[in-house]
Amino acid sequence: MKARLLSWIQPAVTGIGLIALWYLIKKISGVPSFILPSPDEVLRAAWDERSVLISAVMLTSRGAVLGFLAAVGVGFFLAMALGFSPRIKASFYPYILVLQMMPVTILAPVFVLWLGQGLPSIVAITFMIGFFPVVANTTMGFVSVDRNLQELFLMCKATRGQEVRYLRIPGAMPYFLTGMKIAGTLAPIGAIVGDFLAGSAQGGQGGIGYMTIAYFSQLKTPALFATGLTACLLGFVFVGGVNWLHWRLLHQWHDSMVKKE
Amino acid sequence: MNQPPLVKINRVGKRFGSGPLVLDGVELAVQRGEFVSFIGPSGCGKSTLLRLIAGLTEASSGELVIDGMTPENARELMFFVFQDANLLPWRRVADNVELPLLLRGDPTVRRQERVAHMLEVVGLAAAAQRFPWQLSGGMRMRVSIARALSVAPQILLLDEPFGALDEMTRDKLNEDLLAIRARDPFTGFFVTHSVTEAVYLSTRIVVLSANPGRIAQVIEVPFAYPRPAELRETPEFLQLLAKTSRALRAVRNN
Ligand SMILES: Nc1ncnc2c1ncn2[C@@H]1O[C@H](COP(=O)(O)OP(=O)(O)OP(=O)(O)O)[C@@H](O)[C@H]1O
Ligand SMILES: [Mg+2]
Repeated sequence: MKARLLSWIQPAVTGIGLIALWYLIKKISGVPSFILPSPDEVLRAAWDERSVLISAVMLTSRGAVLGFLAAVGVGFFLAMALGFSPRIKASFYPYILVLQMMPVTILAPVFVLWLGQGLPSIVAITFMIGFFPVVANTTMGFVSVDRNLQELFLMCKATRGQEVRYLRIPGAMPYFLTGMKIAGTLAPIGAIVGDFLAGSAQGGQGGIGYMTIAYFSQLKTPALFATGLTACLLGFVFVGGVNWLHWRLLHQWHDSMVKKE
Repeated sequence: MNQPPLVKINRVGKRFGSGPLVLDGVELAVQRGEFVSFIGPSGCGKSTLLRLIAGLTEASSGELVIDGMTPENARELMFFVFQDANLLPWRRVADNVELPLLLRGDPTVRRQERVAHMLEVVGLAAAAQRFPWQLSGGMRMRVSIARALSVAPQILLLDEPFGALDEMTRDKLNEDLLAIRARDPFTGFFVTHSVTEAVYLSTRIVVLSANPGRIAQVIEVPFAYPRPAELRETPEFLQLLAKTSRALRAVRNN
């Protein structure tokens, strides 16, 4: 109980300290608010701009979720194909690496050319950022099956399909979920960057990336900071969701989750 | 008596790749209902011999015939109990026992009945819903044995199943194994380092020498089944124990 309380108090104290430091720096340097707004100005801006920020978050969430799902889905099946045979892996893995090495800033304009400004391009960019960790981790999971378990399935005269279903997929789950966790951390960032590079203000409303540009060009710095805060919140919600799924699927059996006493 | 042997090992030799000869000229005929233990120095090829019978690896020379078939084709008759329990960590105890039945395509109701029966037999009915990590080493081994016997194999291959357990647990599991065999008879092949275990369980003990693995001696164990736990304290038992130990020492000193 005491330890639990402490685990809350410690970060709270740090937080208060950081905010105090922020005020102090602003006070001493005397910089105007459009360079460095104070915490209360940021909060006020967040409140004033709440309707804009909320719809920006909704829009960005949509890109993040769709891109994330695409990354996870495509990544899983691609990994299954790569794990299925060393020959398929040898033929395709280098090109997946090439895709991964391609910077998004270069891919973004290409996507805009192909898919136009807006959601499809944002989803594509989020996908590009998130799918590699899923593929890399899950492939690892599919190829590193316990040899003894494989022999057990051999003794059972299991078909290839049964082996995949009852051995390879569950065995790859921890790896897949690790990849998914990374993709989940990257997805909101991907969607924001995507929005920044390829977003469009549909009906005068943009996503978080777009609003960043808008606030910046108007020198509405407190609102810009508030946008950053909103992005953080989105990230936490996303990572929280993925972590929950991770826990849900593994807590009963996987070493990383079970409580050993 | 004149039945053809269930398992016939014909001058089998084995080497891995271009490595040294691991097994050389192994010749053994095993009748249905026998329980044969392999004992010998570490690295002499006991596990390899078991894996050859299971068809998990191929003989380099000679042949194995199991009920008239090649080992690979005879897999349906056999099951393997691996050294570590080799359970699927994501399946509960009951689901682990069910796995071979599931893979074989048995209908659900039959599977459930069989699983319940097997867990009863190994004394783990109360642990059916636990995960492997929640079990002790001895319990895990029981699950592994229940899983192997769920398909009622004619031949059971066990590779040092109780090697990692303390002596008390091992004695208990030995007694249980005999009790299970009395109910669901199978022909057993058993690898062990424990002479007591070998004598207590087997109808025959095959002593192997190392480098390359050859059959050095075959010791007949005359005790009738059922064998009470106290058999282990009788002079006849202790005599045979001494004889087996001597044979083992002889191959080790060569
Ligand atoms: N897959 C393999 N590839 C190459 N060599 C192998 C392989 N499996 C076993 N060997 C070699 O064959 C020999 C016999 O191994 P095996 O595992 O059958 O011995 P063992 O009698 O079971 O020993 P232990 O009592 O220590 O379990 C060893 O020298 C080992 O190095
Ligand atoms: Mg061995």
